[in-house]
Amino acid sequence: MKIRFRIRRCSPVEKSECEPYFQDYDVEVSGGMTVLEALLKISDESDPTLVFRKSCRSAICGSCAMTINGFSRLACATQIIPEYEKMGAMVIEPLKNHSPQKDLAVDFAPFWKKIERVTPYLTPAGESIKAPVTKDDEAAIDASQRCIMCGCCNSECNALEIDPRFVAPAALAKAWRFVGDVREGGAAKRLARLSEEHGMWDCVRCVHCTEFCPKHVAPLKEIELLRSRAMKEGVTDNRGARHVESMVDSVKRVGRLDEASMTFRTLGFLRSLGMIPFGIRMEMHGKMPFPIIFPKIEKMEEIKTIFREMEEGEEKEEKKP
Amino acid sequence: MAELKYAYYPGCASQSMTIEANDTTRIVAKALGIELHEMPRANCCGAGLLTDYDYPLYIALNARIFAEAEQMGMDIMTICSTCLMVMSTANRDLRNDPALLERTNEVLGKAGLHYSGNVGIKQLLWVLAEDVGLAELGKRVVKPLNWLKVAPFYGCHSLRPSDALGFDDPMKPKSLEAVIRTLGAESVEYAGKTKCCGFQVDLVTEETAEEMTAKRLIEAKDRGADCMVTPCPFCHINLDNYQGLSEKRVSRKINVPVFHLAQLVGLAMGLTPHEMGLSRHLVSPERIIR
Repeated sequence: MKIRFRIRRCSPVEKSECEPYFQDYDVEVSGGMTVLEALLKISDESDPTLVFRKSCRSAICGSCAMTINGFSRLACATQIIPEYEKMGAMVIEPLKNHSPQKDLAVDFAPFWKKIERVTPYLTPAGESIKAPVTKDDEAAIDASQRCIMCGCCNSECNALEIDPRFVAPAALAKAWRFVGDVREGGAAKRLARLSEEHGMWDCVRCVHCTEFCPKHVAPLKEIELLRSRAMKEGVTDNRGARHVESMVDSVKRVGRLDEASMTFRTLGFLRSLGMIPFGIRMEMHGKMPFPIIFPKIEKMEEIKTIFREMEEGEEKEEKKP
Repeated sequence: MAELKYAYYPGCASQSMTIEANDTTRIVAKALGIELHEMPRANCCGAGLLTDYDYPLYIALNARIFAEAEQMGMDIMTICSTCLMVMSTANRDLRNDPALLERTNEVLGKAGLHYSGNVGIKQLLWVLAEDVGLAELGKRVVKPLNWLKVAPFYGCHSLRPSDALGFDDPMKPKSLEAVIRTLGAESVEYAGKTKCCGFQVDLVTEETAEEMTAKRLIEAKDRGADCMVTPCPFCHINLDNYQGLSEKRVSRKINVPVFHLAQLVGLAMGLTPHEMGLSRHLVSPERIIR
């Protein structure tokens, strides 16, 4: 069957300019054919000027990541017919959140800068490099090692869409690779750096990175692990960590989320004062949460038991030789 | 039709800040013959923050919620997408990992509780689209909203991660559009309908949150939407409550009213704006109500 490929192209007129336009190509496709194979066919048979990156053709190198029908995928791992049948179109664009250089090839320099920001190599201290690595230790960082640096997660990241300075999921997954390594000597220092502005607490939990990672790295999981480790290491003097602490305290106290005290604790006294005019506007519509009248859930003692059991379990774990 | 009986989990937001979502869901459910059974012991799911704090604790506290529903012999229905995602993710992990289920039950056992892994978790949108069904819902529409152009706002947590949720396709969801059309309104296509409202970072990096909220609203408005509808109270807090802050951030008047899903359904079923708690919105929907 013939399928129309609508490809977003751009040719830099001057050095920094890349005015995009769409060009259509009708491609004869057969069962099992991938988007990359179609692009190669276009390039071979009808338009040698079409630019795209590719190499391994088997979802290992990560070169051919692009936006297919609005979502970031590897062209070599996306079959045309099922995709076309589901989405009713075949629109190919460069990765999002990256500037196109020519056609489907984007500038990866900012991507690598973000990776560099998290010091992507082991920094042992003292004897830490000699720590034995058990199977469980390896399993804890296994998913993060599957990353092929294709850029799909950063392309889908909603926080990066708004804030280009955000460290973004690819680098955060990489950061966990080293923070979670038992041989690492600088985990606390790394976590403090990751807790700065535009760092790991700026993730908006949109779950795009995990949904669209072609290698099942699940960067959101690594972000959660980094945050948990920061809480345990006491790297908590920042709004993200205070936000988490206030939730934990609220559940421990009343079993539920107490929005007013969360706002107060996360923002601190002065910033909360700044919220008062807005709070009055909210209260005019009955929207202001009041902590004093916050009712507890029934059987709070069960919550207390669960907290106590988990804390005791952790202490036992720590005392193990 | 499936038996319309659920353990009702409104979530924390809808028990205080967005209580109108809770109130209207109860009214609409009653009118549609959906039985909502209280969960007086249910704790907060953690909204992702307990997951950030400590994964095993998050799993145990969520399993406590499921244990209550299991005792009631019902699936859970929530009206919050974040509760849906957080609970469904915990439920997926407990079901996929027998060792985790066992360890969790050891902890629950100390509190006299047990979870076998047999509870399903749904949100109102899914119940309307599938359990009640669009045909049945359509029969209850007495006042088709045929003058309204509605932008569906799914937000993140009713779609992703799809391996835990698995109702709508995250690339091509259709339930919310289908409900809008069943109510007689027009569903407006726009870029941000499956994207994030920014709620999770409201208190962490408000610059990002406010700009993100503004972007979603403006995209919908520029495509001709009169209003938005969302199945999630957290999205509603950002899109409605904080719309004023977003307008300031991007220096542009937006003024797009945002409905909770139950409110839009209720209006089409002939319930009054007063019954639907519309006066609680910060962006008044008055001018688009007939």
